[in-house]
Amino acid sequence: MTLEMVLLAGFGGALLTWLLGKVSARLRNGLAVLLALGMFVAVCLMHGQSFQRLLPLGFMGLRLSVRMNMLSWLFAVLILGTGLLSVIFSLRYMRGRSRLDYYYFTLLLINAAMLGTVVAGDLLTFFICWELVSWSTVLLISLKGTGRAISAGLKYMVMALAGSLAMLVAILSLHARFDTLTIPRLAELLGAAPLGYVLFVTVLMSAGFLVINALWPFHGWLPDAHAEAFSPFSSVLSGVLVRKGLYGLYLLVYVLLGTGLLQRLAWGALSYLNVMAWIGAITVVFAAFRALVQDDSKRILAWSTVGQGGYMVLASSLATELGVAGGVFHFLNYCLLSALLFFVAGAVEHRTGGTRDLNALGGLMRRMPVAFTGAMAGVMGVIGVPLTNGFVSKWIIYKSLLSEGRPFLAFAAFLGTWGTILYGYKFLHNIFLGRLPDRFAEVRRVPFTMALPILVLTALVLVFGVLPGIPLSAVSAAGVSMGFGSLGLSVWGITTDTGTLNVVNLLAAIVAGVFAVWALWRGLGRSVRVDQDDSYAAGMAVPRQRYNFTADFYGPLRRIIGPWAGDAADALLVGLARRTALVSDAFRKLYTGYVGSYVLYILLFLAALIFVQITWSPWL
Amino acid sequence: MNVLWYFLSPLIALLAGLLFLGLARKIMARIHWRYGPPVTQPLIDIIRLFSQRSASHGALFDLGLVLSLAGSLVITLFLPLGNIAPMSGSGGMLVILYMMLLGPLGMALSGGASANPNASIGVSRKLMLAMGYELPLLLVLLAVMTRFDTISIVSIVQQQRAGAWSIASFPLVVSGIAYLMVLPAILGLRPFEVAGAAQEISSGPQVELGGPYLALATMQHGLSMYIGASLFVNLALGGAANPFVFLVKVLVVLALCLFVNASFPRFRVEQAIGYLWRWPTLLALAGLVLTVVTGR
Repeated sequence: MTLEMVLLAGFGGALLTWLLGKVSARLRNGLAVLLALGMFVAVCLMHGQSFQRLLPLGFMGLRLSVRMNMLSWLFAVLILGTGLLSVIFSLRYMRGRSRLDYYYFTLLLINAAMLGTVVAGDLLTFFICWELVSWSTVLLISLKGTGRAISAGLKYMVMALAGSLAMLVAILSLHARFDTLTIPRLAELLGAAPLGYVLFVTVLMSAGFLVINALWPFHGWLPDAHAEAFSPFSSVLSGVLVRKGLYGLYLLVYVLLGTGLLQRLAWGALSYLNVMAWIGAITVVFAAFRALVQDDSKRILAWSTVGQGGYMVLASSLATELGVAGGVFHFLNYCLLSALLFFVAGAVEHRTGGTRDLNALGGLMRRMPVAFTGAMAGVMGVIGVPLTNGFVSKWIIYKSLLSEGRPFLAFAAFLGTWGTILYGYKFLHNIFLGRLPDRFAEVRRVPFTMALPILVLTALVLVFGVLPGIPLSAVSAAGVSMGFGSLGLSVWGITTDTGTLNVVNLLAAIVAGVFAVWALWRGLGRSVRVDQDDSYAAGMAVPRQRYNFTADFYGPLRRIIGPWAGDAADALLVGLARRTALVSDAFRKLYTGYVGSYVLYILLFLAALIFVQITWSPWL
Repeated sequence: MNVLWYFLSPLIALLAGLLFLGLARKIMARIHWRYGPPVTQPLIDIIRLFSQRSASHGALFDLGLVLSLAGSLVITLFLPLGNIAPMSGSGGMLVILYMMLLGPLGMALSGGASANPNASIGVSRKLMLAMGYELPLLLVLLAVMTRFDTISIVSIVQQQRAGAWSIASFPLVVSGIAYLMVLPAILGLRPFEVAGAAQEISSGPQVELGGPYLALATMQHGLSMYIGASLFVNLALGGAANPFVFLVKVLVVLALCLFVNASFPRFRVEQAIGYLWRWPTLLALAGLVLTVVTGR
């Protein structure tokens, strides 16, 4: 099956799903799952291929084209894999809601269009697919129809539009100058272009990519959008959709410009890559502090998505093979982790009647063991605890920052991780640990089609954590296709010239340690299982209801960081938008609908012209 | 002989930690003009606790404690004990930093699973305090790693033994002082005893622990004291040529922190973070800037 056929099946199948939904909901669901599965398998089988082909399709005299290499393959597989799991998760989660035909149509359309974005062979195809994703995303975010959902969709639309307009200007200018938009051809031509022009194109395109990747100061749309979207779509949004910005950055920085040209984009200490690295570092720290004051399960995860995106850009901006590998690998890992955590949050929301407030939940570990397992794996992975996949990518990121001699950037990365520990534990504790409130005493387990994606992702998190060589070989190949050297890999870890990571040692040590302590405890200790109400309250009677500590979990810390952790960048942009609306409104008031005032405007204008002519005589 | 150290070094660390807990009670008692229990009291307590029966709050409650103690035992394989460091080759300081998480994390999970709000408050305080001291600590660690240009802790110790202790050489002396200023917080001693505040939140995460559980938690507590001090000795005081000298250095550092413990009342969490993020952080930042500026 060729790539062209997969794309055709993707777009056509989405439409067919919509039509089939008019006939039977069961058939529609079946087709949606089959389509997502088929596309995933077909693209998986393209491992190792590398080509660039024209499509029999044109637009304004330009032929569209597709390309495939390991970088595109890695992104495509993750996009389609997340899409598949999201469709499966939707089956139960969305059941009984309205406008389902439309929901599946948009979800599959986004799936196909995202695939198109990462396999585009020229910037026109790239831009068309990019916009298809953006517009369908707006519709899907606002699908709930509540006021908050619509305003979140609007916020996303305005910001995405501003970004993609900047990109469009750059693309049009490239076309006007070089008369081609094919990626390999542009890469050759840009090398000979004047530096000022390269900078102009680079800045415009980076702005578009930073908005979608939600980096500070353009992160404002993401928390609202993630919190308001349906949970299965939040997984797609957070795992892969925002990362098309990352793909765009790789395409721009390492494929179009290349490291040689990048080194020339520098004026003393101020270089393009340095600026990007610092934007990433600020995002990491800022998002970590914002996340730990959130009280909404999906909002915590949304801020976490912002922060982890910072790690990817930070590491990728080092322009070394280890740094880029760290960035790509962290993208892969966080794609799995964020999809997993959003599925967990969705499952909890589904079973508790839509509760996302972290102060109302608690103790659900006893009622939802599968969701809890997923949450544990996800949170540990985002923190980067050894034996989860997140550990390896964070190790690579720290290692590359330190061996490049960038201790201040490394400090931001470390600090972000400590923030992650705090908000990760809060997420875990406030939902699953502590006392189970009486009103959730009969909460049912996660249904099978929702448990399946959670279990699959949990397994991947652990397998990739113990055998990091498997995903790293694809990551290394992606690095090679961006022009970097390949990494020294074994199935258990990674070897660099200044240090080695071997996970099998850690695995052996931890397993032996746990076994020894467990044997000691089983051999000597005796215990009896007690009810949750049978606890020690320092001589007080234990109240039966709501005896939980969740509200303002990090209160003292919040009071200290509160004044500095305000979202000034977002407030500025929102304020700008509000002011623009006011100014536009003022202009609207000029149109009074009364002929007399229009005549007055004309007379005043003529008077002004005559005054100018008499005073300065610029005309004649 | 090498294989033997895989078993011996955790055991030595465990015994040293328990001995320290006993010594701490003795020293504190003498400062209070009391006689105090025998130094072996914690060991006796552990044997007694294992003979008792206790209440369990479920699988995670048990497993969290097991993970906590196991993680603390495993980390001793990565920290050099004098010239002995069985697993120091695996990933260096970055792995040590992450493995050091397992102990507190297991304790936090177990505390959360015990369904007692006092435990949850204790865990939240512990995490906030950790955020407080990690800020200066990370700056210090980065200064040390930048100065010696390595992430291997063995290499850091060797370079100090070839030259001078970090704390006695410019510019790392600035970082060293900052490290010393946050050490009581890392060890959880007064004035930073916010997480396990006995009179206030019934010992926090340990509130539901009894019998064998309390035994495991006591061992973990002792080990965490040892680990905190041993990282300081390795990074700032040049490690040691053999385990004996190393243990003496650890003991001296811990005794020093005990005097601080005896002299100050407990901070509130805000006060603790306010202290940690002010002078120690400024000093640590200055240390890192000086290290980067002066180069090697």
